[in-house]
Amino acid sequence: MITAGVDVGLMNTKIVILRDKEVAAQRTKQSGGGGRGETVKEIWQDALKDAGIKPKDISKVVATGTGKKDVSFADKTVVEAVAAARAARFLYPESTSVVDAGADMTHVVTLGEGNTIREVVMNQKCMNGLGLVIEVMADRLGLTLDEISALAPAQGKTNPVNDGCPVFAELDALGLLNIGVDRREVAGAVTDAVVVRLSSILNDKIRPQKDTTVFIGGLAKNLAVTERLKERSGIHFLIPENAEYGGALGAAVIATDM
Amino acid sequence: MNKQRWETRPLEIWGKAKELRAQWQRSINEAAERPGAMLAHGNTGEFDWSIGFDDLTVIEDNPVGAMMASKSDAFSRKCRLASEVRGWGREICGYVQNCWGSQFLGYEMDDGAFPFRDMSIPFPDPCDQHLKRGQQCMDLSPIPRWGADYPMYLGPLDPKREQAFIDHTVYCYLQIIDDIERIFDHKFDDEKMIGSLNILPALREQALRISRLMTHTPAPIGQKELYSFYTLGLLTKVDPKETLDFWTSFADEVQWRVDNHIAAVATERFRWMEAHPSPWNFLKYFRYMEKYGAVCIGSQYSHIISGPIELGEDGQFHHIQRKKPPEGQEIRTREDAFRHIFTEARGYRFKDDEYCRKWTITDFAKGFHVDGAIMPLWRGGVGCTLTRKEQGLRLSEMGVHVLHYEGSQPGDRTDLDERRFLDQLDTWMESLGLEKLEA
Ligand code: SF4
Repeated sequence: MITAGVDVGLMNTKIVILRDKEVAAQRTKQSGGGGRGETVKEIWQDALKDAGIKPKDISKVVATGTGKKDVSFADKTVVEAVAAARAARFLYPESTSVVDAGADMTHVVTLGEGNTIREVVMNQKCMNGLGLVIEVMADRLGLTLDEISALAPAQGKTNPVNDGCPVFAELDALGLLNIGVDRREVAGAVTDAVVVRLSSILNDKIRPQKDTTVFIGGLAKNLAVTERLKERSGIHFLIPENAEYGGALGAAVIATDM
Repeated sequence: MNKQRWETRPLEIWGKAKELRAQWQRSINEAAERPGAMLAHGNTGEFDWSIGFDDLTVIEDNPVGAMMASKSDAFSRKCRLASEVRGWGREICGYVQNCWGSQFLGYEMDDGAFPFRDMSIPFPDPCDQHLKRGQQCMDLSPIPRWGADYPMYLGPLDPKREQAFIDHTVYCYLQIIDDIERIFDHKFDDEKMIGSLNILPALREQALRISRLMTHTPAPIGQKELYSFYTLGLLTKVDPKETLDFWTSFADEVQWRVDNHIAAVATERFRWMEAHPSPWNFLKYFRYMEKYGAVCIGSQYSHIISGPIELGEDGQFHHIQRKKPPEGQEIRTREDAFRHIFTEARGYRFKDDEYCRKWTITDFAKGFHVDGAIMPLWRGGVGCTLTRKEQGLRLSEMGVHVLHYEGSQPGDRTDLDERRFLDQLDTWMESLGLEKLEA
């Protein structure tokens, strides 16, 4: 059986194609603003080519993510939390929670029996879009995402920035640059602000378990974020190799049930 | 998946409700014409000033501000701006911002002249602004303002302190009456006030009948209906007897609906509660939730007409046995009457529950058999959010699925992201395995 999951995020669209529950292809591309539907179609063609199949070979397609309604060929849409939950249990059957943090939203999902969900906490409005905050700041500071990911743990500890509002955080960061603080130090401070927000979502209601919590989404690939979050929360996250494809993978797994 | 469908139909009492509402509006318009007749913020406590003072009409900022938010976004924006340019910040309660703004502009939503207040008697609430709300109309023109005090102490109950609180409150009210009589030459009708003492308990009885009936599945009415009628029992009553008759007929009709399995939501399969109050500019989320077969059975706030209630061992709601004035104590004077009211009222406001009776929120959830709870987090006017997170935790611990969303204050739409709110509802429902039953 061949199924596909399409995760249309704020920054990137991800596609995973599963053949008999094994990943046959995965593709990502920038979502692109207004023409998101078109981007989805383009990347869909690329993914089919990678897997060496035709659209008719695919039994079901499930879409998720902020732009899930833009996937015109999807048989079904599911909310991000549901896709994240399925991905977590698919990758780590023993998992008890999953954190899905991308450019736009952050979800912390507490898993129940089987494929059920006990609780979902979403980030509140302030400091929404944690991934976006990092991307924008990287751009502003002239650093690549890889350079931010490689920041040393101590960087950014002496000059913190506002951790409640991205606009204030950015202004604080510019202020630090103005007084000559090294841009890597500034990037570290912004990363810390993002981590403070993430841990407040983790602490909202049911606290995730220390060793059985999965971390997926674009931010899970940023080592500076995951290491600092681990230190702050004490959680040893289970991070899959292709963490950014978590949502698309979950959607593809859901498609196998249909 | 539950495929059960019940019959549903609108309430018959709607016509009467509209009539009462129009009558209240007329009383406001008439009072605006009479000098010294308009009293701001004077009836959400245990006592309505217009019951003792025939010449007075009470206008409360909360329902007026809520109505503005609900009916005209453009007008309430204008009002908030008018208020902000005079230095009042976004943290101020949205209801108050709407009313103050309208006062600054000098006109109302329908372009009619703003009914300027002649005096103001706000009462305190767990919000730092409830008592402050009288300030603006006093600053604008030199009208008298009093505070109808409600002292509270959160430590262990001390009978002596309680007695001092009651004495203080009673003397506050007596002082206000003397002042109004002296300044405005209005006459306080002791007989009418004493005579009305049995109306409120009778009204509570009828409202309690409705609360109890709403524990049934399918719920005979939902939050939408409660919100449509609850001000008729609390904030906008004109004639207490008429109000009581209305609530009696309302309760009879709800009983009939239960007997005949008439549902608020035909596809009910998920019951949720709220914490007070909702974003008045965006009530459409109730209908949105109905697409999932979800019915809102109300909140402690919208069941307020029942008075302080608690869940008995029989699984049914009862009135909390309030402290009674000593046996045989006759009520002959206004002081006796106020002493009676405030002895009964001590410590039983549901807004104080998180301090005084933490279990009532979970009892509420249990009694109404709810599956979920939506608990808003408002940024301004803190009184409408106080302890919401603690209550959310308490509910979550008992297995109720809790959803928080953010906004400015129920009367201010500024920070409420409607699209995001609906996305949150989708996430909430789908994560519980519920899909939309209709597009
Ligand atoms: S925010 Fe709520 S409690 Fe505070 S003044 Fe407004 S209505 Fe009252």
